[in-house]
Amino acid sequence: MNLSFLFSQFMGGLTAAMFLFLIASGLSLIFGVLRVLNFAHGSFYMLGAYLAWQIVHWLALGGANFWLATIGAAAGIAILGGIIERLLFRFLYGREELYQLLFTYALVLILGDAAKFTWGTQQLSVSRPAILNGGVEVLATTVPYYNLFIIAVGPLIALGVWLMLTRTPLGRMVRAAALDREMLSALGANVGWLYTGMFMLSAALAGLAGALVTPIQSIVPGMDVEIIVQAFIVVVIGGLGSFWGTFWGSVLYGQVLSFGILIFPGFSLFSVFALMAVILIIRPWGLFGRPIR
Amino acid sequence: MSRLSSDRIPWALIVFVIGLSVPWVGSRYDTFLATQIAIYALFALSLNLLLGMTGLVSFGHVAYFGIGAYVCGILMKTLGVPFIVAFPAAGLGAGAFALVFGYFCVRLTKIYFAMLTLAFSQIVWAVCFKWNTVTGGDQGLPEVPFPDLGWMSAIPGTGHFRISEYFYLLTLILVMLCVAALRRIGQSPFGRVLTTIRENPERAAFIGVNVRGYELAAFTVAGVFAGFSGALFGIFNRGVFADYVFWSKSADVMIMAILGGMNHFWGPAIGAAVLTLLNQQITSYTEYWPFVLGTILVVLLFAFPGGILGALDAGWTRLTHRRGLPTQRNA
Amino acid sequence: MGRQASLVALCAWLAAFLAGAAANAADAIKIGFPIPLSGPTAVYGTPILKGAEMAVSEINAKGGVLGRKLELLSRDSKANADEAVRLARELIIKDNVDFLIGTLTSAEAPAVSTIAKENKIVFLSPSAKTMKLTAPENLHPYIFRIASNTDIEGAAGAQVMAGWKDIKRVATIAPDYAYGHDAIGTYIQTMKKLRPDVEIVDQQWPKLGEPDFTAFITAQMSKKPDAVYCDFFGGDFVTLAKQAAPLGYFKAINNRLADGGEVGVIDEAIALGNDYPLGIWTDTYDPVIWTGKEPAEHKAFEERLRAFMKTDYGSGWAIMGYNGVTALVAGIIKAGGTDSDKVAAALAGLTFDTPTGKLTFNAKTHESESGEFWGEMVKDPKYPFAIIKDPVYRNPDPRTETN
Repeated sequence: MNLSFLFSQFMGGLTAAMFLFLIASGLSLIFGVLRVLNFAHGSFYMLGAYLAWQIVHWLALGGANFWLATIGAAAGIAILGGIIERLLFRFLYGREELYQLLFTYALVLILGDAAKFTWGTQQLSVSRPAILNGGVEVLATTVPYYNLFIIAVGPLIALGVWLMLTRTPLGRMVRAAALDREMLSALGANVGWLYTGMFMLSAALAGLAGALVTPIQSIVPGMDVEIIVQAFIVVVIGGLGSFWGTFWGSVLYGQVLSFGILIFPGFSLFSVFALMAVILIIRPWGLFGRPIR
Repeated sequence: MSRLSSDRIPWALIVFVIGLSVPWVGSRYDTFLATQIAIYALFALSLNLLLGMTGLVSFGHVAYFGIGAYVCGILMKTLGVPFIVAFPAAGLGAGAFALVFGYFCVRLTKIYFAMLTLAFSQIVWAVCFKWNTVTGGDQGLPEVPFPDLGWMSAIPGTGHFRISEYFYLLTLILVMLCVAALRRIGQSPFGRVLTTIRENPERAAFIGVNVRGYELAAFTVAGVFAGFSGALFGIFNRGVFADYVFWSKSADVMIMAILGGMNHFWGPAIGAAVLTLLNQQITSYTEYWPFVLGTILVVLLFAFPGGILGALDAGWTRLTHRRGLPTQRNA
Repeated sequence: MGRQASLVALCAWLAAFLAGAAANAADAIKIGFPIPLSGPTAVYGTPILKGAEMAVSEINAKGGVLGRKLELLSRDSKANADEAVRLARELIIKDNVDFLIGTLTSAEAPAVSTIAKENKIVFLSPSAKTMKLTAPENLHPYIFRIASNTDIEGAAGAQVMAGWKDIKRVATIAPDYAYGHDAIGTYIQTMKKLRPDVEIVDQQWPKLGEPDFTAFITAQMSKKPDAVYCDFFGGDFVTLAKQAAPLGYFKAINNRLADGGEVGVIDEAIALGNDYPLGIWTDTYDPVIWTGKEPAEHKAFEERLRAFMKTDYGSGWAIMGYNGVTALVAGIIKAGGTDSDKVAAALAGLTFDTPTGKLTFNAKTHESESGEFWGEMVKDPKYPFAIIKDPVYRNPDPRTETN
């Protein structure tokens, strides 16, 4: 095993990791603040992909439209998320996990069929934006620009959310709400709209992830269910409520997958579940999590 | 416990008698539906030992259902073992796995517990999906034989029955026995400790209850009964497939429990019946069944969080003017 | 399917429901059709159902079969074995269907086959390729396969690649389940016979629905293969192609990749658009756009299909559902009635017409032994997607395939 090979496997793992992080970041955020595990996050991701395809389609061909479509998808899904939160979701805060899980599962069913009704069952895909075609040669390995882009976007989102949470007045309110909702409310803050805002941000991240994967993945019915369990597990591996935990959990997952397949060729099927079982057995609260009561 | 499920009305007996009459009164297809309902009812009731009784949200209960199905299917099809051995073995096998996985799971609480049970169930799924030589891999084990039920033709009035009707009678009896056992477990001192743990684990620990030990015991017992239901399901469907172990089935069975009402012993069984019948009716007309199911679920969670039995109970109470609304268990 | 089409379908369904669908069903020949219409496999299930619907409407327009109309009862099997079994039973016992066509996954098909056997109902499988479906221990008089199988597919792939004289180091990449393993197994076995000089240098097994292939691709490239046999299909191949191209994967092997997973199908080419890895060799059941000598029946079929589906290019999968219905009808006519045993006996050894030529159910194995059309994927300025160039029909028998 030479250096070039190790490097290419490392980069492959990193790309896989940042993909998953794009999706898992919103999930982690919403759990950290709202204490809700949102099954429908995968549906938002899928709708984001479909919406991006739709916008590209409307704007006809041309690479630049991809960026418009990405912004449009993120905004569209944020609005959808906001509506769902205001109409239904806010009545579920503080209820048992079971009800939250089942409600979000119901959303998965409804949104999945809505997508099928709107876009049918054909596989769709979007071309890579022209500016990110091709790649760069590093250590005798080609690293595609688009992968570099994804690898850059992941940490940027992580950093952005982290700065928002720790360095802004809004972030302080959000963290306060996560700790003690009643107290914050008693102090006069409008916690309801704060939660709506966070839910929309999380949905926007899902929509963004959906749009950003369209150039390198197919859009098919069922992509919501395929990804959501993996995203859940990465969040749990990192430690529920720990945003950076999700980030490092994703990175770990990517590397374990990337090097695991060299040793066990059929590892891909087990990878994420096996990793989670091992981590939760060793560290029951995930890598960066704290015990919850 | 609620008034509707009180012992004054022998619900179990009524259901059993109605159930028994299905092959004589109903069509052949009704018998198939009734078999499926009976099996799912047992599966959902076994889950409720964790969900409603102990307050453990297991999102991987399907693993033990699937292990039961595979153990029974492999023994009967591949090894030619008779049903009378394969059926108990399915429960034991599922229980053994539940004991091992449960040991790790009960160390966690709430959402972590749910996620670890999910992870284990997906590992079981992946093994079943891949292990060609034993489980048949993704192509499964088709042609699992029916048990030898020739002796049942001695029952009067069953001359026109086919094997599927006899198998239904066998299923009904086995399910009823399992349900009776689950009921006894629920009403035993053991069951009361589980309820205490659900209401307040800290207090239970404080008064000297070995919370983890009891949770593990409940997890294992639930696994055993899920294994029994899985064994019947495999034979009923004439084959065992990895699809039986996929996580979405865990969601389905959870929906059954909630739909019927998980605060009532019989709730999950009612939920299993209603969901099976709804699925059967609606899928004949539209391929948009998930949409319908999702909508039902949303209405249920917002309007009737106590499920069907919870709603009936509330209505009953209002009619009889005895007291106010029954207290809902809520976090 | 567009939004309007769905709306129309919904309205039609409502109308049929309100009018009481029983009106015209009095003595129709009923065909149950359980197939995935949701989830990732709906990509195939939906067009296969369309093809069957077209065959039924054409046959009914000509007065039906033996004076009776055909009625298709389609159901969403959700690519789930127990749901498929439940639907098969419901269709057979409650809806009294005379025949079953359908199922897609390698679990659904054997599961429904058991039910068909139990109820003595003829069951035609239009798309499952698993050998287990008709393996001697599972074979029964009522099961027939329209689709190709993994043996034929793997051997055909080996035939194509054996023709690439300068290759020495071959790698494989296939989904990690029975279909992938079986096809790759036959491929390697046949390749070793045809080209003993070729060495298998690497094998990758990403899972079905793998979201990220990068690590698999880089691992494979490090073994420096000069050709690749691939078995990914549908959405997975779209993902693989889009992720592999910028890594220089296709360039490194000089586009010497053969794929037996029908990625030559027009649906796939349309989805990939300009991202299609041109120059690879692959197969399809139906080269919708047929360069070279196109049979007249095929041309007419595609025209009718486009009109029926109301799309510009139809679908390359529809032919499987269409063939399922026409094969069954040929069997009914030969048997002179709808009696299961007679139709089953008639189908064994029956030769039937398809838009791409004749097929025969082997009387012993109940396989149609259907091959597929192989060719190089090229760009044609007339179309905004890749097309399969001069497709050649291949249905080798791996047992007799020698150099």
